[in-house]
Amino acid sequence: MSQKPRRPETFTLDDPELVFAEQQPDVIDLMAEPPQNGEIAEVSAVATATTPRRSRLGAVLWTALGGLVSLAFGLGVTNLIEDLFARAPWLGWVGVYFTVLLVIALVLILGREALALRRLAKIDDLRARAETAIRTDDRTMALGVVSSLEGVYSSHARTARGRASLAREKTEIIDGADLVRLAERELMTGLDAEARYLVAGAAKRVSVITAVAPRAVIDIAVVGFTAVSLIRRIADVYGGRPGTLGFLRLLRQVLTHLAVTGGMAAGEGFLDQIVGHGLAAKLSARLGEGVINGILTARIGLAAIAVCRPLPFAARSAPTLREVAGGLFDKSPT
Amino acid sequence: MKVSDLSHEARIVASSMLDAAAEALNPTVRLGVTGLSRAGKTVFITALVHALTNGARMPLFRAYADGRLIGARLSPQPDDSVPRFDIETHLKALLEDRKWPQSTRRISELRLIVDFGSETFLGRRRGTSHLTLDIVDYPGEWLLDLGLMGKTYSQWSAETVAMSRRGARQEFARDWHKHLKTLDAAAPESEAEARASADLFTAYLRSSREARHALSALPPGRFLMPGDLEGSPMLTFAPLDVAADAEPKPGTLHAMMARRYDAYVDGVVRPFFRDHFARLDRQIVLVDVLAALDAGPDAVSDLETALVDVLAAFRHGRNSWLTALFRPRVDKILFAATKADHLHHTSHDRLEAILGRLVQRARETAQFGGAEVDVLAISAVRATREATAKRGKQELPVIAGTPEPGERSGDKTFTGEEEIGVFPGDLPADPNVALAPGGYRGRAETGEGDVGIIRFRPPKLEGPWGKTRLPHIRMDRVLQFLLGDKLA
Repeated sequence: MSQKPRRPETFTLDDPELVFAEQQPDVIDLMAEPPQNGEIAEVSAVATATTPRRSRLGAVLWTALGGLVSLAFGLGVTNLIEDLFARAPWLGWVGVYFTVLLVIALVLILGREALALRRLAKIDDLRARAETAIRTDDRTMALGVVSSLEGVYSSHARTARGRASLAREKTEIIDGADLVRLAERELMTGLDAEARYLVAGAAKRVSVITAVAPRAVIDIAVVGFTAVSLIRRIADVYGGRPGTLGFLRLLRQVLTHLAVTGGMAAGEGFLDQIVGHGLAAKLSARLGEGVINGILTARIGLAAIAVCRPLPFAARSAPTLREVAGGLFDKSPT
Repeated sequence: MKVSDLSHEARIVASSMLDAAAEALNPTVRLGVTGLSRAGKTVFITALVHALTNGARMPLFRAYADGRLIGARLSPQPDDSVPRFDIETHLKALLEDRKWPQSTRRISELRLIVDFGSETFLGRRRGTSHLTLDIVDYPGEWLLDLGLMGKTYSQWSAETVAMSRRGARQEFARDWHKHLKTLDAAAPESEAEARASADLFTAYLRSSREARHALSALPPGRFLMPGDLEGSPMLTFAPLDVAADAEPKPGTLHAMMARRYDAYVDGVVRPFFRDHFARLDRQIVLVDVLAALDAGPDAVSDLETALVDVLAAFRHGRNSWLTALFRPRVDKILFAATKADHLHHTSHDRLEAILGRLVQRARETAQFGGAEVDVLAISAVRATREATAKRGKQELPVIAGTPEPGERSGDKTFTGEEEIGVFPGDLPADPNVALAPGGYRGRAETGEGDVGIIRFRPPKLEGPWGKTRLPHIRMDRVLQFLLGDKLA
């Protein structure tokens, strides 16, 4: 510390320089925007800097390709409209009208996607910051995390009570790591239960349908469709609300997560499930297939939870395969 | 190892096995609230019991925050020969008269039964679960004696005499030193000499403890707070100027003093330890770091000496089934710097760092044994509010409260009525500075220092005192750490 130690001082209460810490609000502003101060921005910059950068060559390739495709598209449209004008002027105007409509719609969609992407990035950033705050027990950073969380969930009615009690605790003396854990318990408890319920339901549905479906193609279609809707709904639960582009990014993250954790998961829980509850599989290969598809869905769901949740699992335990896929064995049609 | 050591151990084992049998039917936690005098044991126990019975703002105490804690009720204390902890009087003094409890003069016990809903597999089927919490309050001075259990008379004498010749103590010990010079350890035993020496020695201990110097390492504790031993012959001994490995010759003054010292250790210290500390499950060590910091580096390093001696008596570490049966160890120990409300929360990290440095050795030993250890700055009853104030160009973090009557800052003396804002100065950033002689200026010498901790009266609370919730700092962390797993 380069700062010189400050000497003791006393103040009378009517000293105009004495300002009391803000009183805890009884009613909180649910729509309040999170404060953006310099420290938080700096931290997030660090967090993004550590994420692996994509190859620069790839960027050149995609830029070039994108440019060519857009040029081709633009040329095609221009040619089309010119042709239309050549045939009959009113036809040309209709063409122009549609083009304008197309451009406006495109801009709106792109805007929405960009917003959704930002939201996702914000959640990633939030998780990284929460992890740092827990590790370093930094109160300022934890307060930033809580403010951002309040921003993410400001329009989420079911977290209203959790947000209210968090707003109260923010003004109390509470350490950084504790504050983040408290936020996790207050805000995530309900959402976690909801997400678990979604995953368990999806896993069960997939296992039943694929067990009775007559063709493998249908199996694949059902698993694929359920997985896609599951990921979307989990993101929705945790406040990610991904657009199409965001969804693709999310899907990539989920798949990466699956690939990374897959080996470990197979080692500890997966085999156990198969061997322990293997009776169904032994009885019928078909049923076994259903169970495996169900487990696959459950694992996709767990990966989606890990990717979409804005806080790390610190105060609450992460859901396990046994919890969400356990239902497959309890009441599966045997 | 002496025979008395063996029988001491054997008795602990016997009572541990009885406890283990009772434990199977009725889960019990023996919470050891350890702390030297004025560390805030009585206030801590009062606040803890009040929080469990009446509730408080405790978001980090899981069983309470999750709504699983049904309540707690007082139950007759286990040992009928020991009075019950008088929580009603303490609460009344705290809330109505706004006075901190008087210093504890004798031992008292409290048994609390906590009703809660368990989340474990068995607990869920049982319905309401109960946890019995046994807490003992005692004069903090007596705790100093625990350090005597491992020392012979000659060792203790040599240490005490050497210590009394250092720093501020020299001043207080002058009369006793004068008398000590006239004594010859090899002279024939003499009751008159022993009594005179003991009186002067006691006077030295008492004056060293006086508020401004806040020295702590002053065993034997019964000299300061005799309790029911007032005037007993067991207290008529004092250190002699002998070498640490000197063997007393029969019939000499030395032999008589050594005999009385041994009688004191066997008859007073060991039973005290055996009855109240040998079989603890959880321990919280309350340390009034701020009073020592206020006095200066001498007081801080003295506090360290006292803590090291006391903590060496405990066994910390993870329990196996064998140790649990024969000699349970403390598996969770929390070091708490009390009265953290006398500082702004931005200084709490430094306070925790200094406490961590003071108990470093005990902490490392406990961790090596597998015990869970934590260091926290807490306030059982928060007496202040926080604010900021500008002085010149600096923005100072300030606390506001009502100082106790007679407290001083600079040339001002407070009446105990007006509320003021205080910036107590920056604590040393490096914990070693707090311990090093001359590391910073304390208030012990001149009344002016780099750190000025002003003692505050208990807070003014509204509402009927039977129903008030006490404000606190990190008591929920404390409860979660000490009892969280037992209330799972």
